[in-house]
Amino acid sequence: MALVEAEGLRKVFRLPVKEPGLGGAVKHLFVRRHRDVVAVDGVNLVIEAGEAVAYVGPNGAGKSTTVKLLTGILVPTAGRVLVDGVEPHRDRRANARQIGVLFGQRSQLWWDLPVRESLALLRDMYGLGAREYAERLERFDAVLDLGDLLPVLARKLSLGQRMRADLAAALLHDPRVVYLDEPTIGLDIAVKDRVRAFLRELRAGGTTIMLTTHDLGDMEDVCERLVVIDRGRIIYDGALAAVKDRFARDRRMHLVLAEPVPHAVVAARLPRAEVVAGGTATEFTVVFDRFGHTAGEVIAALLPLAEVVELRIDEPAIEDVVRKVYAGELSLDGDPA
Amino acid sequence: MRAYAGLARAAARSVLTYRLNFLFGTGALVVHLVAMLALWSALLDAGRSVAGFTLPEMKAYLLIAFGTGFLVSIFGDFRMASRIHSGMVALDLVKPVDYQAARLAESTGGVVAEVGAVAVVWVGVVTFAGPVAAPGWPQGLLFAVSVAAVVPLKFLVVYLSTLLCFWTQNYLGVFWARDVVVSLFSGALVPLALLPGWFQATAAVLPFAGITSVPALIYLGHVRGAAALGLVGLQLAWAVVLWYAARLAWRGAVRKLTVHGG
Repeated sequence: MALVEAEGLRKVFRLPVKEPGLGGAVKHLFVRRHRDVVAVDGVNLVIEAGEAVAYVGPNGAGKSTTVKLLTGILVPTAGRVLVDGVEPHRDRRANARQIGVLFGQRSQLWWDLPVRESLALLRDMYGLGAREYAERLERFDAVLDLGDLLPVLARKLSLGQRMRADLAAALLHDPRVVYLDEPTIGLDIAVKDRVRAFLRELRAGGTTIMLTTHDLGDMEDVCERLVVIDRGRIIYDGALAAVKDRFARDRRMHLVLAEPVPHAVVAARLPRAEVVAGGTATEFTVVFDRFGHTAGEVIAALLPLAEVVELRIDEPAIEDVVRKVYAGELSLDGDPA
Repeated sequence: MRAYAGLARAAARSVLTYRLNFLFGTGALVVHLVAMLALWSALLDAGRSVAGFTLPEMKAYLLIAFGTGFLVSIFGDFRMASRIHSGMVALDLVKPVDYQAARLAESTGGVVAEVGAVAVVWVGVVTFAGPVAAPGWPQGLLFAVSVAAVVPLKFLVVYLSTLLCFWTQNYLGVFWARDVVVSLFSGALVPLALLPGWFQATAAVLPFAGITSVPALIYLGHVRGAAALGLVGLQLAWAVVLWYAARLAWRGAVRKLTVHGG
């Protein structure tokens, strides 16, 4: 049996409909009208022990709601979830012992307490022994550089510090399944790298990971499987590499040349790429297929025209794929699911 | 147990973190207490009594009403309400502790700080406003049990009303409504003996009297022996009933939970 199983999972929120203005508000007092919003619509998901899954979709697609159903925070309207045989919303406490949860936008640290106290409180909640606790803290310190944060009040932490401390809090009890909802949101590159290194280590240790993110780097670094949700339905479930190779192919190279070159001349040198003129006569953006050209080839093609003064490359983003899917420009159907 | 003891300690620490807030909150209630003391001192001067209350007795009653009004008031409901409102409650639902017991533990942690503040105020009032009536030891013991029962009883009344936030998404209205009901039916506003008979009869069967009136009347010796034991029993019975009622309410409440975004 798989570690996490969701079958026909559905969540409908009932929202009040109010007409605009004071009149609408008064009217709502007497005539209540509601609108059903289907946040998650028949999701089937099976995650094996040790898998790392990236769960992706546009804002409002139902990602967070799915995570909240899988963690037992929300009660499903229909369908069923089993995490290692436990139905999360029915047996919250048993479920809580085997899962770790991190919501990037909410901290589970006690706001008024030093980080150390929050962690000690979690130690008591999960009934960890003194030695186990010390060992884990040491491990977290090694990867997350936690030591300096321990005496600091949670509300005085910067976002990056907060996320590191929150990761430690979510993983202190060494859970079998970890749900991470945007764990790198708003973080700078250095902290992001550290968080990803930590997640890689976690996966190497056999922990099952479900990662919700908009960040391609997060997904590529940590996950091998991609699940895309859109309007409450799963539209893709398969290997991450396959999607990337098939759809996230376009690199964008932004160039500033030393002297003006006509657009047509540049375009002529790069017949298989799309060349977009920039704001001035010396600026260009070259969009090319990363399997069709290497970056070196593009530069080599332009060098005879003029010296390249500045250069920046945007890597293809899974986000773009998702956006295209969302806009109906792309179908992921036919991929191994 | 370790988890709940930890939660209680964390709550006590949180209260102490916001000392100024704590002091202002205490100050407001002390002003109210002083006003009531002045009012009743004027009404009951020259040895007069009202509904069986002499001035020293009324002073003692007001002090107890202040104390029980203060217990389980600083840590708990507003924090819980704001966590429900903001969706932070989601994080409470993935902890391996019972939600209701965890909130009780936190409220109990707050009580430690509250008891300290009440003691200081009592000493101050007795110093400046003269002695108050004091019970003998068997009555005193019963009083201690009755006050201890106030903590779970009041917690549950507060907790149940806070659960309404899952439906209302707004706590202030609930808070005001509860405050009015509790202060009237508990005898915190005026002793129940001063109110009409039908009101007293209603209040006697409701759980609220156990929050103020019961411990105060036991302290004053207005109820003694079997009657007093019966009232303490009623307090405890209500605590048990409300505990399970709250469990039932929670089951409905958690189904209403809507957490948007993040």
